[in-house]
Amino acid sequence: MLRSAFAATLVCTLAMAGCIELERFPTTRDAVLMDELNGRLAGSAPPVVADVDFQRIKNARGEPHNWLTYYGAYDGQRYSTLNQVDSSNVRRLRPAWVFQAGLIGLQASPAAYAFEATPIVVDGVMFTTGPEGHVWALDASTGDMLWHYQRAIPLDVPLCCGNINRGVAVAEGKVFYVTPNGYLIALDAKSGKAVWEKVFVNVRAGESATLAPLVVKDLVIVGSSGAEYGVRGHIDAFDITTGERRWRRYNVPKTGEPGSETWEGDSWARGGGTAWITGTYDPELDLLYWGTGNPGPNFDGSVREGANLYTNSIVALRPDSGDMLWYYQMTPHDVWDYDGVNENILFEQDGRKLLAHFDKNGYLYILDRRNGELQRAVEFGQTTWGEVDPQTGAVEAKLVPTEEGTEICPGPAGAKEWNHASYSRKTGLLYVPVINQCAVFRTDDAEFYLSLPYWGGGASLSDDQQSGHVKAFDPRSGLEVWSWDSDYPMVGSLLSTAGNLVFAGEPTGEFSAFDAISGEKLWSFQTGSGIHSSPITYSVDGKQYIAVHSGWGGWIKGFSPQLYGAPRGDALMVFALPE
Amino acid sequence: MRQATRHFARLPLLALVATLSACDYLRLLRPSVLEQAEPPVVALVNKLPDVDRPNEAVIARIYATGGLTHAAVGEDGVMRDEIWARPLQLIWTPAIIVMPKGGELELTVHNPGKSRHAAYLPNNGGHMLLELPPGTSGRARIELDEPGFYWFGCPVANHFGRNMFGFILVEGDVPMEARLDRPPQPLPPED
Repeated sequence: MLRSAFAATLVCTLAMAGCIELERFPTTRDAVLMDELNGRLAGSAPPVVADVDFQRIKNARGEPHNWLTYYGAYDGQRYSTLNQVDSSNVRRLRPAWVFQAGLIGLQASPAAYAFEATPIVVDGVMFTTGPEGHVWALDASTGDMLWHYQRAIPLDVPLCCGNINRGVAVAEGKVFYVTPNGYLIALDAKSGKAVWEKVFVNVRAGESATLAPLVVKDLVIVGSSGAEYGVRGHIDAFDITTGERRWRRYNVPKTGEPGSETWEGDSWARGGGTAWITGTYDPELDLLYWGTGNPGPNFDGSVREGANLYTNSIVALRPDSGDMLWYYQMTPHDVWDYDGVNENILFEQDGRKLLAHFDKNGYLYILDRRNGELQRAVEFGQTTWGEVDPQTGAVEAKLVPTEEGTEICPGPAGAKEWNHASYSRKTGLLYVPVINQCAVFRTDDAEFYLSLPYWGGGASLSDDQQSGHVKAFDPRSGLEVWSWDSDYPMVGSLLSTAGNLVFAGEPTGEFSAFDAISGEKLWSFQTGSGIHSSPITYSVDGKQYIAVHSGWGGWIKGFSPQLYGAPRGDALMVFALPE
Repeated sequence: MRQATRHFARLPLLALVATLSACDYLRLLRPSVLEQAEPPVVALVNKLPDVDRPNEAVIARIYATGGLTHAAVGEDGVMRDEIWARPLQLIWTPAIIVMPKGGELELTVHNPGKSRHAAYLPNNGGHMLLELPPGTSGRARIELDEPGFYWFGCPVANHFGRNMFGFILVEGDVPMEARLDRPPQPLPPED
């Protein structure tokens, strides 16, 4: 008995050994928001967004001092009529102010974070985003922070490529943005406080969100990311005021729906086709143009025989319902990761309503945007994967990924990544950032499990055989007008202005201005980190500014592996002419 | 009488069984743990004391988690829990806080030691800072709505890097309306 009692005491002692009595005190302190410890934070912004509505966004070109929507206007041209800064004085351009985000925290990998946003400017107030759920309202003439909001983002979010965000949309007194884990959040544009939020993706299925929302009428429209995880891509529309979801459109049809005959068995259920780049909109035709991503698995097409509609396509949708009026598939049965998400630029030529799309597959497509009929396909990058008939658009695939590996051009980032082209109304030319690169594409057995990468192979780039260009194309003839050559792939969006300028960010950190007619490089400024974002221009009190996010990162291994170890950053650089 | 004595004699045994059943060490003997006790794992566990506290070789400490706690849900729906900055240890105790759902967490943090600490906490809207001078306690009300895990730490003098960091796990799932319309898909195989 004594032995038992001893044993019991011993076990109790052991059991208690891990417990440490720690002292409690009356709680005398409360936590404060870090922003409250920033004495320079204004805490609120002027009510400039209160009367931004559909009519104003529709007529965005009528207020060139603002950058009201993702591409500057619904047409996606990324063109501004501001001309205070022009080809004769751009050499005098210098920094007006710099905003340092100073992001801290645990990082998945040095490449994961990038500063990719397009700022929005409304009457002297700038709204922009960073990775990790950050949104800022800044004084657009001084850079002073007006308010800051950060959504707490879980560490365990599945990301295809990078922890990034491409910016906000504004309307009806609100600022809209998405978080990596797929929440669409509406903030009060004056206070920066959350008004409503809706989750529109399932992180457990490998989905995420990166794009800037688009406001059309009383809707805010977003698309999903994550085609590398065997998801089923979709575009969703939410009511601006209530956050109620009005519609969801899947880009991959399920069995029995039109287009499902282009999928083998139940492969549609993992068919990809996400929609991670903001669409454009023609108010006259009431059509929304959205690009769709690669099919899943990326490289092993044997498990999804068929054209795999509506992946790698431009879909023309009615914004009120999400109904599709037409589609154009650039790369049927894609096995190269050439997703068709790139922007669709709307422009007029001889009274015709046209659409220009520089696809990752290396071809520029000019379509009649009323019905999707191809007008012309033009090769703009280095391609060996196949040939596209310039008149019919018919695709002849020539090189496909193999088990032993096949070198194919362009690589998986395409001849142009998501970074946007521009159309100048002044010169009538299209300007495009181009990537020159090839990769060895391999297939592997595509084994699908929920939330795990579903590549079905891979593509390896050599570190030293890449270059890039800024090119100008005449959409009438399809001919290249000029080309500026770079030692590195060009992966920053372009901006054209009535000052006869084209602005481009370089992966090595230079922010540069080119003569829009000759292509001569006129000005350059080293921002300290690579540029993988989208510059804008605006004016306050008659002074023109040009703004660009500088902060290298994202899927660098895919588009510029020779700069994988280049410095990261998170600065917003804003330039103007001296007084 | 003899039977009664026998019952009485069993009491310590019953007490022992009751104690053992609540003992964390004994729970390590359950099959799901034992089947992981392969020689390399056992060797690793035996090496952990070399790195879970500062010694002649290492300054940082690894694997010293400080334990786990489940936040209680109050009648008002707010979850509540408390943690300590353990004196002389540079570790949060507990260091893993489990919230059973998304929502508000009222976290009381005690600093009974003689070092200054602070808690840098994730929160929807922006990070929060709770300053904790020696011998004080403070309270933070943070909102975390989305399932997943978040990190927190002590930002004073790199206490974070010396292992004064922890995680907040928010349990829950994505609402039905956000999920994909497709048949159920296979989950990753168990290791």
